[in-house]
Amino acid sequence: MAISRDEIFQRVQEVLVDALGVDDDQITIEATLMGDLGAESIDFLDIVFRLEKAFGIKIPREELFPAENLMTNPQFVNNGKLTEAGLKELRTKMPHTDITKFEKNPDINKLGDLFTVGAIVNYLQTKVGSS
Amino acid sequence: MQLGPPVRNTRNKKAKKGWKNDRFWYIVLRYFADCAIAGDRKSMRFILIDKVVLLESGKQIKAVKGVSLAEEYLADHFPTFPVLPGVFLLEGLIESASWLVREAENFAHSMILLEDARNIKYKSFLAPGSQIEYVVQAKTIEENVSSFTGFGISGGEQIVEGRLGLRHFNLADENPAMATVDAQIIENMKKQWKLLWH
Repeated sequence: MAISRDEIFQRVQEVLVDALGVDDDQITIEATLMGDLGAESIDFLDIVFRLEKAFGIKIPREELFPAENLMTNPQFVNNGKLTEAGLKELRTKMPHTDITKFEKNPDINKLGDLFTVGAIVNYLQTKVGSS
Repeated sequence: MQLGPPVRNTRNKKAKKGWKNDRFWYIVLRYFADCAIAGDRKSMRFILIDKVVLLESGKQIKAVKGVSLAEEYLADHFPTFPVLPGVFLLEGLIESASWLVREAENFAHSMILLEDARNIKYKSFLAPGSQIEYVVQAKTIEENVSSFTGFGISGGEQIVEGRLGLRHFNLADENPAMATVDAQIIENMKKQWKLLWH
């Protein structure tokens, strides 16, 4: 049974409140996980587990958070910036995220800004949403 | 030396009651106290700041940390892209705040623990070869509790920021037999302070 985008967002909100200890009003669609909500490496693991439970699906971590694979592959990163190959990989792994702003200066330190609450909702829509 | 409940649980407002059990924490604190007395660097002891560069007693502290490729935890975080884990950036802020308390209260308490960490944000990564400067300002420092805002900056880039609450006490407050343990911990803290601020 397909789940509406609103319902997906609500459940994601609950997951992030539990995982990150933030208030629910801090969790907006544009909020970035690391920069706004204070998530760091260990939290990504926790978030994936909680989302799997909340939605009853399996979520391969690198599907939801492709950053780790991107950042650690020398073909995709050079001198602290994503290469053309890296950008291509990013587009493939996050098809519903607009990366035009990031592309202008693909500084790996700013990669975290792409991981927003919205990106999680977009991903889950492809898995459980009404298409 | 930072002790206390795991940072993640203290951030979570719905943290379970289990870890607040006094007896449990007595045992944990006793273990860490023993390590502190032994001054044993091989046991679990973190030092996430290298030097204090500015001190306004009771008000503000600035401390720096250089990130070295030799830090063992970097090997896994991440193998081809080493960066200081977020929890250690937070630990740097906590240690800076703790030293501000110790100096202000003239090392009155052996135990200074994180009570809560709020609005923590990780803005940028910190890689080996960088130096981060933690700037922590006290909002209040009372006898047993204190609160701070702080941030870490490196090369003009904001790395981490947030708000912290600490609590401070002596083990002897609960158990007078621990007074000598308190004294030894305080001695060690005074020695460490001489290495950080001179």
